[in-house]
Amino acid sequence: MIYLFSILNEHRGFGKQILLLAKNELIKTYKGAVIGPFWAVVKPAFTVFVYWFAFSCGIKTLKAVDINLGGPEPFTIDFFTFMLVGIIPWFFIQDSITQGAKTLRTNRQFITKVKFPVSTILTYTSISRLYVHIFLVAIMYIYVAIAVGPSWYNLQFFLYCPLMFIFFLALSWSTAPMSAFSKDFESLIVSIMSGIFWLSGIMYDSYGFEQPVLNFIMLLNPINFFVNGYRNCFLYERPFFDYGTELAIFVAEFAVVFVLGIFNYNRLRKKLPDVL
Amino acid sequence: MAEPIITFKNVSKTYILYKNDQARFKALFIKPKNPKTNKALNNVSFEIYKGESVGIVGDNGAGKSTLLKMITGVAFPDEGEIIVNGKVAALLELTAGFSMEMTGRENIYLKGYILGLEDEYIKQIEENIIEFAELGDYIDQPVRTYSSGMKMRLGFAINVNIEPDVLVVDEALAVGDATFKKKCKNKIKEIITAGTTVLYVSHSANSVKEICPRSIFLKKGTIIYDGPTEETLKIYEESKKKK
Repeated sequence: MIYLFSILNEHRGFGKQILLLAKNELIKTYKGAVIGPFWAVVKPAFTVFVYWFAFSCGIKTLKAVDINLGGPEPFTIDFFTFMLVGIIPWFFIQDSITQGAKTLRTNRQFITKVKFPVSTILTYTSISRLYVHIFLVAIMYIYVAIAVGPSWYNLQFFLYCPLMFIFFLALSWSTAPMSAFSKDFESLIVSIMSGIFWLSGIMYDSYGFEQPVLNFIMLLNPINFFVNGYRNCFLYERPFFDYGTELAIFVAEFAVVFVLGIFNYNRLRKKLPDVL
Repeated sequence: MAEPIITFKNVSKTYILYKNDQARFKALFIKPKNPKTNKALNNVSFEIYKGESVGIVGDNGAGKSTLLKMITGVAFPDEGEIIVNGKVAALLELTAGFSMEMTGRENIYLKGYILGLEDEYIKQIEENIIEFAELGDYIDQPVRTYSSGMKMRLGFAINVNIEPDVLVVDEALAVGDATFKKKCKNKIKEIITAGTTVLYVSHSANSVKEICPRSIFLKKGTIIYDGPTEETLKIYEESKKKK
């Protein structure tokens, strides 16, 4: 408990600075480019196009997806919409995991030169990614509102999105100090990312395997919780508690990641200035 | 006697020297067995009271930087206890710790918040800082557009204008051109006469004698002598000759 307070304590009275630093992090990412912030849209838009082109036009089999949500009839949706709603949270997740792990190393001037509330570095970089994510969701929502139609279930976004933010922030409490210690750890994370993409239900339905064992294993992947969660909001019109097992597994994992994050951060915090 | 402003109680600090990157990776999960270590500070204890000016002398690698880093709150001890009561301003690496995309003015606030100052107070000292740093209109430009001299001036100006309780100064400090250097020296003297506690690190005997009545001689992480500067310097000189 005392450990948790040490992270909270570092944030106390620093709120305004965190927002300012988050804004500057965005400027740092996009400054100097002619179309500046539009890169935040161009890059994901191109990725979406490539996947859609490869799967719907190239392989030709994936025009529509049927998802068994436990109802009498499977839920049918065209592949593009299905993928889009899943890949938007994935962009945030991917950046959060890879960038989050690197953050302390790239901001080492705040750790080795001056006294700085170190955990806030993870927070403000994370918030700057959240801005981009919300921007992308806004664009996605325009499409969803036209293609699928708005629904009250859309409001669950305000549950899933903050939850996703906190989950991956807590994950970086572990990964960032460990990556600062060992570059190998950082490389490990970066190199498994594309694997994680294909092991998560972004391009396919994670509930749709024929073997029940595989369906259960997919529930263990917390990324699926968020990807399916976004689809609950925008496509399936399903409340977040509808699939109890998925929710329960996630809650347990969340607790583990959170506790481990606090433990690892406090274990390594004081050694950081020595190794960076 | 009043309470000391800086207390070091049996402070030790050991750096672990990892053999290679694998060893470092392994150390994340398992405690390394008999690693090579470098004891930067070994059972260091002292007290510094308000208004004292203390010099710290010693060769390279004696542990001076580690000691200062602990006082400024950047590094942490493995054993022992450090108590620092009050605001610490450090004239060590002046260009470090700026957020490059933020303007000079925003960086003043950032530094202020890190030191735990309130908005109102920063507003009060803001103009003094800008004036002292001689930045003019540049204060509202991002720090990345500053020359290195301008960054140093801003760093110096912030640190001396926050009315610190403890001022840590490294003698090897470089702050731009001769005129500004003079201005800095005068400002440091002014702070010392105002009764601020000063820690002064130096290789050279003369400047320490000038500023500090008391000095600590560090050698390989241990305090060899702590007392009047003249005595300390005598012992320091002797130990040099022995080599």
